[in-house]
Amino acid sequence: MSTPAIHTAQSTITDEPYYEPVADEIDVFTAAYRNKLPVLLKGPTGCGKTRFVEYMAWRLARPMVTVACHDDLTASDLIGRYLVRGGETVWVDGPLTSAVRNGSICYLDEVVEARKDTSVVIHPLCDDRRLLPIEKLGEVLAAPPEFCLVISYNPGYQSVLKDLKQSTRQRFVALEFGYPKAEVEQTIIEKESGVDAASARQLIKFGHMTRNLKGSGLDEGASTRLLVNAAKLMHEGISPVIATDTAVAQALTDDEDMLQAVHELSRSIF
Amino acid sequence: MSDETRQNFLNRLRIQKDLEKFTAGALARHGNVEDIVTRIAALERRDQDFVYAWAELIARANHELAAHFVSRVATAFDRMERTGVEDWVDRAMETFDNRGLGFAIEVLEDVDTFARAYASRHVRCGFDDASAFLRHFVRGLGGRELRVAVDQSTFTDTESLYLPDAVNLFPEPEQNFTLYKLTAVHLWAQTWYGTWRYQVVERLLREFDADGPVAVFNRLECIRLEACIARDFPGLAREFNVYGHVDAAGDALWDDWRQRAATLTAAQASALDSLDLVDAFLELPLPPLRPYEGDMFAGRVRQALFARIEREKSALQRAMQELREQNEHGEAGGDDAQKQLVEVQTQDEDGSGGADVNFQVTIDGEVTPVPENMKDLLGSIMQDFGEIPDDHLEPLERGEYSDDLLPQRGDVDGDDDPDLNGTGTFTYREWDCVRQRFREGFCTLRELSVPPGDEGFVTATLEKHRGLLKSIKRSFEAVLGESRLQRRQADGDDIDIDALVEAFADVARGREMSEYLYTRYRNQERNIAVMFMVDMSGSTLGWVNDAEREALVLLCEALEMLGDRYAIFGFSGRTNKRCEVYRIKDFDESYTSAVRQRISGIRPKAYTRMGVAIRHLGQLLQRTQARTKLLITLSDGRPEDYGGYKGKYGIEDTRHALLELKQGGVHAFCVTIDNEAQEYLPHMYGPANFAVIDEVEKLPYKVADIYRRLTT
Repeated sequence: MSTPAIHTAQSTITDEPYYEPVADEIDVFTAAYRNKLPVLLKGPTGCGKTRFVEYMAWRLARPMVTVACHDDLTASDLIGRYLVRGGETVWVDGPLTSAVRNGSICYLDEVVEARKDTSVVIHPLCDDRRLLPIEKLGEVLAAPPEFCLVISYNPGYQSVLKDLKQSTRQRFVALEFGYPKAEVEQTIIEKESGVDAASARQLIKFGHMTRNLKGSGLDEGASTRLLVNAAKLMHEGISPVIATDTAVAQALTDDEDMLQAVHELSRSIF
Repeated sequence: MSDETRQNFLNRLRIQKDLEKFTAGALARHGNVEDIVTRIAALERRDQDFVYAWAELIARANHELAAHFVSRVATAFDRMERTGVEDWVDRAMETFDNRGLGFAIEVLEDVDTFARAYASRHVRCGFDDASAFLRHFVRGLGGRELRVAVDQSTFTDTESLYLPDAVNLFPEPEQNFTLYKLTAVHLWAQTWYGTWRYQVVERLLREFDADGPVAVFNRLECIRLEACIARDFPGLAREFNVYGHVDAAGDALWDDWRQRAATLTAAQASALDSLDLVDAFLELPLPPLRPYEGDMFAGRVRQALFARIEREKSALQRAMQELREQNEHGEAGGDDAQKQLVEVQTQDEDGSGGADVNFQVTIDGEVTPVPENMKDLLGSIMQDFGEIPDDHLEPLERGEYSDDLLPQRGDVDGDDDPDLNGTGTFTYREWDCVRQRFREGFCTLRELSVPPGDEGFVTATLEKHRGLLKSIKRSFEAVLGESRLQRRQADGDDIDIDALVEAFADVARGREMSEYLYTRYRNQERNIAVMFMVDMSGSTLGWVNDAEREALVLLCEALEMLGDRYAIFGFSGRTNKRCEVYRIKDFDESYTSAVRQRISGIRPKAYTRMGVAIRHLGQLLQRTQARTKLLITLSDGRPEDYGGYKGKYGIEDTRHALLELKQGGVHAFCVTIDNEAQEYLPHMYGPANFAVIDEVEKLPYKVADIYRRLTT
């Protein structure tokens, strides 16, 4: 059901989200925002794309609308639609429309998942016109300067039907995200979970081991998010091997041999 | 007499009486009845019940046999678990039925032999059980990808880990598994902590090329690696401790050596330090190798090492050349590109002395992002040298793009035999990366038809993979189920007028109004045309060919269900004048018995000239009507053909052909079984557009799975 999505949380972020910069992404984003340029975030899952947008929303003091895209997400899910209410039809704004009206940051997560017709609404918003045509209302909204569209996508995703078209991607300032460097990742794990430095270091080592397996049996290695999850379990007193088994290994794969390999890798460190 | 002993006494008396009853006195002839009864009385209650039940059963067949059973059963329980004892009894009864009492008694009496055989069957850790796990595990630990294989001796040549075919030193399967794992880890540690660095291998072979010194070097390295592992992998170190005992004398010897070679346990100690110590230790008694420690064959290492160094050096130079050219912003191959100074800085990430380092590549002082495949390459070179040697970074001579680049020759033999059952001849251009020009009309391609093979192969494949086919079909069905316009939804893209009219009618009549008033498309109609391009080069001979054919059979079944338009062509050839594609199934042909026979008739031919095949099949694909067009290549290696079409030339031409396709809106994807594909496939197909399948047997399953993922 996508109806609730229409009322997605349009939240103003009051507390500073924890974010550890990896390169000059904050400056680039800020510059893009000031110049009214839309931003494309590329990177594997769990490397901090969403957190980064939250952080930037807080920093720029703009409300933020997040839409998690799925393969049924249509243009009308973004723009809005008429609902039948008590024998009458009522227009309800979609998340993108309300973000444009309020000058928010609109974040379309995993945008390639969405249906192709969404590009119709994204395109005019992302060039210098910055317009959102609402066909059903016969209205064209001009985006205020505060509005910013951010989309994210994972280039490692293997589906020819879900590739970002050139015409779409060439409208964005693209920021590439990878897993952070070991030291940064360690800080992140410590701060997010509260584990000590030694455990964080071991977890990172374990994370790197799983990333070695990318392409030789695993589609992706353990993301920073998974490592943080494992660290949180460890902080609660769960033994490290069980924490990595449940928070990482099982999340990565169902393959028996691979599960065993990841399990033994964890045991070899802890 | 206390209550307990009294109870015991009565208990034993009862057991003796019962057993004597079962065996009708035969037990009495076994002499030490007292002893037998004591031991049976000591068994657990459920085991005693087991003895009773079987004694009674066997007695029905033969009293003497039952007596033998009773007299040996306690020993059997000592040696084996209950299931083992059951097997033992089963075997005895079977022997009795088939061969008579004498042989059956032999089986019962020889419980020790049976227990040993049983143990090795059930507790051993075999290569087949563990190889998939080990490959993943060792890859995870770090470093270059290592193959695992079975060999008489346990050793590594730095390309593969050679392991015994099974381990059954311990009574528990878990213990044997751990030992097997530790054996692999120990060999891996040699490749990771620099036992076989180039400098070490050279010196070892120069100064110590004899069994004695190599054995000493092996022991010293064991000590050093033990310390390395203890620093980096506390979990593994604990296990090594548990499994590292030989006997008191052996342990004492090891302790002695450890003390004498204390310098080797320091973090900065290297294999060269071990070499320095060899002379001093030559006269000492040699500690016995622990169960997980293998042999060393420096000659084998040298062979693998030298081949790899050559290969990786030229691969790195090629990769660097590309970086330089990219950096030149399009002035590819210009003189300036050659002059740029390329440096690789390495930072040891955790100071562990392992080969775990971060690389930073700078071109003329400017930091350049390191491509993923180059990281692996640099990592492997670091494992061999501990640094990136300067000569690896020297630019290639102008024009010399790669050491295996030969001048392109046209067809030399030119013996055209037009009598093949060809349906047409086409000419195509080819991209020459040396000239940076097309060679117009260079390749002549003929479209041939595969001679029909035995359709029985198809039936056999369907039979063999029955379960698999079911699951493939199920997952494809799920894809299909999505593509429909759904009416009367609670939510959707558009209003369902029919439902709305009904709803208003309901309201007018005072009934409750339905909330299901929308229509929605779950997914648009599939509109996909896919071309499968199958490698029919000579190298696919054998099971690769079988796996390819099986994969095609399963795929066809699945695709028939999806209704996607598809065609299958094989390709091969010899020289630019005799490129060939083999029609197996055309787009507008249905999956008939003729097609099945052609699939079965696919046989390895000659070489792999990929560019021209891609151009031809791409054109066929572009002529079809479909929204999404996909070219999937099944391949087993690099493009290669007679007359210089190999290495960089072949890869560049193929890449160019794929780029031409991409401009025409065709997506290309490659499924390969070549383990070295990482080196060239990302360059040819793009970083996410290929899949490497590590086991040929998995091809049939994987291809269907990949296709599903690609198109949903």
